[in-house]
Amino acid sequence: MEILAPPTWRAIDFISDLHLSEETPRTFEAWARYLVDTTAEAVLILGDLFEAWIGDDARVEGFEARGAAVLREAASRRMVGFMVGNRDFLLGRAMLDACGVAPLDDPTVISAFGARVLLVHGDALCLGDVEYQQFRAIVRGEEWQSDFLSRPLEERRAMARAMRAESERRKTEGGPWYDVDGEAAVGALKSARATTLVHGHTHRPASEALAPDRWRHVLSDWDLDSADPPRAEVLRWDASGFHRITPDDAVRRPA
Amino acid sequence: MTQQVELKTSKGDIRIELDEEKAPESTRNFVEHVKKGHYDGTVFHRVIKGFMVQGGGFEPGMRQKPTGAPIQNEANNGLKNSRYTLAMARTSDPHSATAQFFINVADNAFLDHKSPTSQGWGYAVFGRVVAGNDVVDAIEKVQTGRKSGHDDVPLEDVTILRATVLP
Repeated sequence: MEILAPPTWRAIDFISDLHLSEETPRTFEAWARYLVDTTAEAVLILGDLFEAWIGDDARVEGFEARGAAVLREAASRRMVGFMVGNRDFLLGRAMLDACGVAPLDDPTVISAFGARVLLVHGDALCLGDVEYQQFRAIVRGEEWQSDFLSRPLEERRAMARAMRAESERRKTEGGPWYDVDGEAAVGALKSARATTLVHGHTHRPASEALAPDRWRHVLSDWDLDSADPPRAEVLRWDASGFHRITPDDAVRRPA
Repeated sequence: MTQQVELKTSKGDIRIELDEEKAPESTRNFVEHVKKGHYDGTVFHRVIKGFMVQGGGFEPGMRQKPTGAPIQNEANNGLKNSRYTLAMARTSDPHSATAQFFINVADNAFLDHKSPTSQGWGYAVFGRVVAGNDVVDAIEKVQTGRKSGHDDVPLEDVTILRATVLP
C-alpha cells in the first residue's frame, strides 16, 4: 500500500503501542486530548492502540465505544490512519469505516516531503522469535479469525482476559526481549525503495542508522497509568525531518 | 583480580570470568547466589537461537525459585552485550534483576545501555564465558517449545547441576 501525502500536509504524526484498555484511564485521556486536537494534518497509528480487540461488534458499547468516539471525532478533523498491531489485530473494516479512519496495510509506504518512508508495526520483523511468527501466521489467518469472531461476545471477552493475564505473567518473568531483525529491516527498505523505517512494537524508542543511508525511528509506547515516570511521545514528521514531541507540544498552536 | 565461576551443566562445563571492577554489584549478587546454591538444579528455561540462553530462575517443570532483593542495573558500565558475555535478566523495570541471567549467543547491541530511561537502560553485562563456548553453542541449539504457558523452553531440560566459585 502506498500513500502520497497531499501538499497541504505540513505535519504527519506517528503514534503506536498505547495498549489502551479499561485499566488505563489516564493514558486514554491523554490520547483522546492529543488525537482530537493535534495540529498535524494526518495521524498514522502504527498498531497496538488497544491492549486487546475482540471484534468490531464490540464497538457499540463500553470501553470500545469510547475509543470509537475519540477516533470518530479526530477523523472528522484530519486524516487518521490505523495499522493493526499484535494485540489489536482483529480491529477491522467495520470499526474503521464507522469511525472514518483509513486502514493502513502492514507494511505501508508513505511519500511526503520528498522522501519515501516505510511503516510497519514491527512484530513481523522480529524474525528470531520463531514461535511468535508461527503463532502470528495462525491468528492472522482467515480460518482462526472467523472461528474466533463467530464465538459469543462474552466468550471472546473471557479469552481476551485470559490472554492478557498470561501476557502480564510473562512480563513479570523477565526479558531480554527481541528486536527487529536489522538485515530484514534493511531488506524491506530496499524492496520498498525507502530510506527510513518507522515502527513500534518493541517499546524501545530510538532513532538510528540500520546501514549506510538507511534509518529507523522506533516509536515509544505510552503509559501514564503504571509507569514511573509516565511516558507518552509523538513522532512528528515535517519538512525539516523527524522530531519526537510530547502530546502537549503536538496540540500547541503558535501564538 | 578476577573471580571465576564454573557452571556444571547437563551439556557440559562453562567457566565464567566475572568483571568485579565494571560490575561490582552484579558480581557480588551473582557470587552470593552461587555460594548459596541457588543455581544448583535450575534450568536454562528460555533458549532462543541466534539471541541468548537464559537461566537461573526455574527448576524443572517451570517451578520458579524464590528470589531475593533486586539489584541496581549496571548496564551503563561500558560493557557490551557481545557474544558469550553474561548479563542480568530482568523485567521491564530497569532495576528489577535478582537471580536470572543470560548468555548472549550473538552480538546483541540493542541490549546495550542507551540512556538512563526505563526504555533505554539496557541489560547489565557482568561477565563472559572463558571456557565452554561449545557448551553454550550446544545449549543454544536444543529444541524448544511451549511448556506450562512459557515459550522457548527446551523440550529436554538443560540443567545447571552445580555452580561453584573457583579458588
